[in-house]
Amino acid sequence: MARLLVADDSETILLLMRTRLEMAGHEVLTACDGQEVTDLIAAGGPLPDVLLLDAMMPRKSGIDALRELRAAGVDVPALIVSAHQDARDANAPTGLAIHGYVNKPIDFDALLETIAELTEGSE
Amino acid sequence: MAVLGVARFIEQRQDFEDAIARTYRVEMQARERLARNPAARGARATVLRQAAERRRLQERISDDTRDTALLVAGGLLAGLAGALLLYGGVIASMRRPLEDLVEAAGRLASGDRSARVAVGGFAETATLGRAFNEMADELEREASQRDQLDRLKDEFVLTASHELRSPLTSVQGFAELLMMERDKLTPKQVETVEIILDNCRHLVRLLNDLLDLARSDAGRLVIKPEPTDLGPLVEDVARSMRARCEARGQTLAVEVEPGLPQVAAEPARIRQILVNLLTNAHEYSPEGASIEVKARAVDAEVEIAVIDDGPGIPPEQLEHIFDRFVRGDAGLTQRVGGTGLGLAIAKSLVDLHGGTIAVRSRVGEGSTFSFRLPVLAASGAQAGEEAAEAR
Repeated sequence: MARLLVADDSETILLLMRTRLEMAGHEVLTACDGQEVTDLIAAGGPLPDVLLLDAMMPRKSGIDALRELRAAGVDVPALIVSAHQDARDANAPTGLAIHGYVNKPIDFDALLETIAELTEGSE
Repeated sequence: MAVLGVARFIEQRQDFEDAIARTYRVEMQARERLARNPAARGARATVLRQAAERRRLQERISDDTRDTALLVAGGLLAGLAGALLLYGGVIASMRRPLEDLVEAAGRLASGDRSARVAVGGFAETATLGRAFNEMADELEREASQRDQLDRLKDEFVLTASHELRSPLTSVQGFAELLMMERDKLTPKQVETVEIILDNCRHLVRLLNDLLDLARSDAGRLVIKPEPTDLGPLVEDVARSMRARCEARGQTLAVEVEPGLPQVAAEPARIRQILVNLLTNAHEYSPEGASIEVKARAVDAEVEIAVIDDGPGIPPEQLEHIFDRFVRGDAGLTQRVGGTGLGLAIAKSLVDLHGGTIAVRSRVGEGSTFSFRLPVLAASGAQAGEEAAEAR
């Protein structure tokens, strides 16, 4: 299945995401903020298939991390997770090749479907 | 001028009268001389001269009297005109500030907080003007404090609903995890987890509703209207609600008038309005009730009505039915479990679409909630019809 990099500043949310996504058969890497995301990718190794980034995190937000990654030429599909009711309205950054928005509380069935669509054909 | 004229006239008249008296005196002396000596020719001439002189003087007096009368009349007229001018000036200098005050008060009343008047004119109008400006300053201060409180409240609701969402995500997510292994749980445990999930969903609805209202208050709730066919949308929402209704033995009928014109609307928001109205009809009506959704064109609007034959709403509640946290009969709400915000949100959303929402209800005879949205302007056929009507 897919290799996912999930970033959220809440450990409970990270645990929940890891549990649910691993149950669906995915490999899950976690990061507690945007800085860890960029560090992890900069450290090399196989790139994740999908990034799941919380829009608002201390130190470095998911949006800022994604901006850096895109500038560095990393074109991994990215989903932005947000506690805003309508994530699209709240952030709406342009030019970052965002492949979708996920609202909290997370609808995991829909999320798994989106991940499947994004990774389709890459396997 | 006239006064001087009159004084001079009186003075001159005295002179004339003295002169006339002198002619009499001289004439009398001449006549006495004539009586003593009828042949005194000088005396006769004097009598004639004095009489002529008197006539001349009397003529002058009457001329002067006329002139003086004219002068006095002219003076009076001039005085009257002057008084009128002065009076007009006084009136005008009072009227102007008063008119300004009336105009500024009107602006203030209609919400222009910058409405002030230029203080001036008579002491009284200036005092009035100053008092008005002070009152307007005070109102502006209070209004800006209120605005600030409103902003704080909106910010608070936005932040709170955002901050609450993360822990709620965890609670709901882990409860769902438990439910994924429901075959390992006892029936009692399953029921417990179901209660947790129910309450999570309720909290999410509440947060979403609060957020919508806070955004609406802050003017940040925006809709993205597009040409929309309401018919299929109504049928779709009804389809998604039917199972819930049928679970309680309620019927849900849909009646869409064929050929409904399009409206400018954001489908997701119309769906939200309809879900709110239908949820109310479903939850407040007893088992076996019949619920209807009707869509039809009325004039230049499309009306969607949700009709139920439930218990109806008493008049005192009907008045506040679109207010926040106003909910039906307490006995029912225990079971119903809505947020009390559904209708307030429906109204906000209908307003944003430039439409109107209304309710008709009588206790024991059910309720009808309906909203109307303006038909999309200038859609070819429609514009043609309007033009034809205009002719």
